[in-house]
Amino acid sequence: MILRFFEKILFALYALILLLAFSLAGVYFGLSGELPQLPQRLENINLSLPTEIYSNDGELLKVFGERLPVPLEKVSPFFLKAVVAVEDAHFYEHQGVDHKALVRALISNFKAKRIAQGGSTITQQLAKNLFFSFERKWVRKFKEILIALQMEASFSKDQILEAYCNQIYFGNGAYGVEEASHVYFGKSAEELSALQAALLAGLPNSPNNANPFTNYERAMARAGFVLDRMVKERMIGAAQKEEALSSSLELASPVEVNNPHQYFVNFVLDDLEKTYGKEFVYFGGLKIFTTLDARLQTEAQKAARSHLEGLDKRMGERSKSEPLQVALVSMENKTGAIRVLLGGRNYSHSQFNRAVSNNRMPGSSFKPFVYFTAMEKLGYSPASMVRDEPITMEIRGTQPWEPKNFEEDYAGDLILKKALMKSINVVSAKLIQQVGPEEVVKTARKFGVKSPLGAHMSLALGTSGASPLEMASAYGVIARLGMYVEPYLIQKIENFNGRVIYEHFYRSETRFPAKSIYPLLDMMQGVVDGGTGRTVRRMGFKHPAAGKTGTTNNFKDAWFTGFTRDYSTSVWVGYDSNEPMVDPKGRGLTGSGAAAPIWVFFMKKALENKSLVKFTVPDGVRIVQVNPTTGYLLEEGSSEPGMFVAVKDETVLTLPPLPSPPPALSSSQALSTLQQPEKTNDVPNF
Amino acid sequence: MNSTVFRLFGSGAILFFMLASVATLEFYGHIFEKGIGYYLKWQNPKRRQLGRAWETEHENTLAQRQVQSLLTSLNTKERNSESIDTLKTLVGTLNPSNLVSRKKFLQLYFDYPGQWARRIIDPWELLKIDSNKDWDRVLLSRSGQWITLSFIDPQNHPIHEVFLRLDILYEVQSTRTIQRGFLEEANFEEKRIFSIEDFLPLLQTLDPATQNNLFPDPKWFLQKDYHVTRVGIASESLPDRPEIALFGIEYKTDYYTNVLLIPVPLETSNNILSQIEQAVSDEFDDLYNQAGAS
Repeated sequence: MILRFFEKILFALYALILLLAFSLAGVYFGLSGELPQLPQRLENINLSLPTEIYSNDGELLKVFGERLPVPLEKVSPFFLKAVVAVEDAHFYEHQGVDHKALVRALISNFKAKRIAQGGSTITQQLAKNLFFSFERKWVRKFKEILIALQMEASFSKDQILEAYCNQIYFGNGAYGVEEASHVYFGKSAEELSALQAALLAGLPNSPNNANPFTNYERAMARAGFVLDRMVKERMIGAAQKEEALSSSLELASPVEVNNPHQYFVNFVLDDLEKTYGKEFVYFGGLKIFTTLDARLQTEAQKAARSHLEGLDKRMGERSKSEPLQVALVSMENKTGAIRVLLGGRNYSHSQFNRAVSNNRMPGSSFKPFVYFTAMEKLGYSPASMVRDEPITMEIRGTQPWEPKNFEEDYAGDLILKKALMKSINVVSAKLIQQVGPEEVVKTARKFGVKSPLGAHMSLALGTSGASPLEMASAYGVIARLGMYVEPYLIQKIENFNGRVIYEHFYRSETRFPAKSIYPLLDMMQGVVDGGTGRTVRRMGFKHPAAGKTGTTNNFKDAWFTGFTRDYSTSVWVGYDSNEPMVDPKGRGLTGSGAAAPIWVFFMKKALENKSLVKFTVPDGVRIVQVNPTTGYLLEEGSSEPGMFVAVKDETVLTLPPLPSPPPALSSSQALSTLQQPEKTNDVPNF
Repeated sequence: MNSTVFRLFGSGAILFFMLASVATLEFYGHIFEKGIGYYLKWQNPKRRQLGRAWETEHENTLAQRQVQSLLTSLNTKERNSESIDTLKTLVGTLNPSNLVSRKKFLQLYFDYPGQWARRIIDPWELLKIDSNKDWDRVLLSRSGQWITLSFIDPQNHPIHEVFLRLDILYEVQSTRTIQRGFLEEANFEEKRIFSIEDFLPLLQTLDPATQNNLFPDPKWFLQKDYHVTRVGIASESLPDRPEIALFGIEYKTDYYTNVLLIPVPLETSNNILSQIEQAVSDEFDDLYNQAGAS
């Protein structure tokens, strides 16, 4: 009986051994297809050439994929001891798997009915980091163990430890001990003190929770724990631990996350990814030389911040729930290079790039395109007269439209230049009614506006979204007297050994004759010198400049887009929620009050030490003085208040009929719409 | 019974000994881990390149291939541009642009057999562009009905731009073509082919403007060691251009005989033809008379 029992036990043992062996073999063969191949060498694995992005003035804006692998000799022995003590005390004894730790973890996981504890050795962690996902699954764990066993059979302990130190994540974007040492302590891994080494060794386990920049106390507690482990494993003495704890940590200052260049950098990357693909950008080992002027970008952010702080105060309680946002784009007129692209107030708070988003309406800053279309298609000039009056427009299939002026008052008769200077909505609406919204859309396209534009009457008031980048680019066409230049961000791209693989070439295209554009430019100079944009002059900006303000319904958007000979700059201010910008006294923020001052602060810096350069008057244009309400030419030496306008040579302008003033017209006869000056003698300048 | 006990004891002992040995080997030598590890190492080449590290590796490879492909394409473009041997080819092969170095442009510009290059840009203008040492390359691009020549600095900013109407292409296409072979092969009639000795005296009597339109600067032939032998004058106009006829200059190089074909106004061609035929006929009459007299 005993013998039989003993025989059965023996048989069961044999069967168990066989079953275990077959089970393991079965599991292995089941998984072998999913096991990754190991590389020949561990030193260079997972390393790629870094891609660097430079500004036009030579500043390194961003580096991608940079790894700083170091051999073990270049790592502080404190760190090596600390990391072994805290992560895998038996590292030098096991063959990839620590039995005790594994059994401990197994028991704990069975109790928890999930993978709560890893029990992973350094080799296993390296295997996981290199090849596997971070999901906690039994199958993944088994594969990780197999690869760890192969690693131990293929590489020396030092090779494994070195690869681990160079691959592991330490938080704050730092991969590898060398980069982590620089990020947290501003020194190389070789120079780490015992306390610093202990702090770093504690990070891979919880890179976010024990981050000394955000959780100093927790990080120090973790460092203390690591030092305890080191003492326990007899890697340092108790005295050394005390000495380490009493030493200074000398933590470096965290890298400023709110980098004003980040909006621009991201835009460049998006652009490159669309053209060449993600791999090319992040693994190409490229040197990307951009058009950004880092100094001006910083100035733009300063200008925006200081003005918005003032506006926030004015907004009172409202600013506490939501800060005002800003976008600023500045383009060099000569080349089309984007020198500044500020997509928001603070990158660390909001990464949404408002400078390139066309979700906001440009309001009156769209009017120059309406006026230009009317002048080109209907033969009007800046001296053509129009009547500003309440109107109702019948629109087929919808309610009649009654465009209102900003302050709901009406100026009566005035010339087009003055109407643009005062940004009169009624005039813009009349013009689009006559010329047709489709023609305005065509014109805007020729100016380089690429956003979808609704071909309807309200386009006269800028009701289709456009980005600050588009507006700066389109106004640049006016600054270049009709020459279109595609805005660009990248000057050239080199590969890692300096061979040029892409370079930008300037290409221009004449979209409009200079003599047609200059009258518009002159009208826009009027906006800055004495119109809705006169804040620019009030603030002491002396350079010859032209521009246009824009304020949308209920003060939701405030724009100022303007240009000098050198730069075209567009500024937008508003709330992301599209709420009205109205202060507690009920006063709203306008393009003139909210955006133009930022434009001035920025442009003053951009044009510092530059001489005042006037816009060139092209051939075929003459400057004349007219009566701003009738459009009649003023004789030299006339005492009447006049206004200078630029008109094409072929534009016919006449002196007022003498001696009596022109006969009054009935409202149905004229002035409710515009008329060609060339075609009538009764009312010479409509 | 004894044999059963003995067998069981033996089996048990073997098992115990085996397990004890394995346990000892595992405890001191990690035999299982090593065994599996070495087996996996042996199987390594048969396995696929999976996982994050390999993905990075593949992305690296992909990116470097793309970089290499761009470089190759740029090198090809550069080689093609540098291999262009005439200004005519440079302007006539814009698809959509050609980029050449300053040196290459000047070489082609001054190498053009005739005055046409001067119509693109005046040499004095080139001197002016070159004066501030910024001129690096020339970008020739075609857009709509226009050809733009941008003289650019090392930052690719244009120092000077020349806009040419596309018509100039048609002009250059029918201007000064070089063809390998003899005048006869270029369809010149034998009776309208004359030796250079017969033609030069007539050329020298023409006004400088006609000379320039008809014949390249002698320097062009002399500098290249081209030896002009004969000229041919077509009496009929070109099929597509009724007012133009071809004038051919045959010259010998070290290896070949070439013909430089120059379109000239039909009127000029007829005028030259009548003069040279008259001169040759007079010469023939003189010889005949001399022979008769003797």
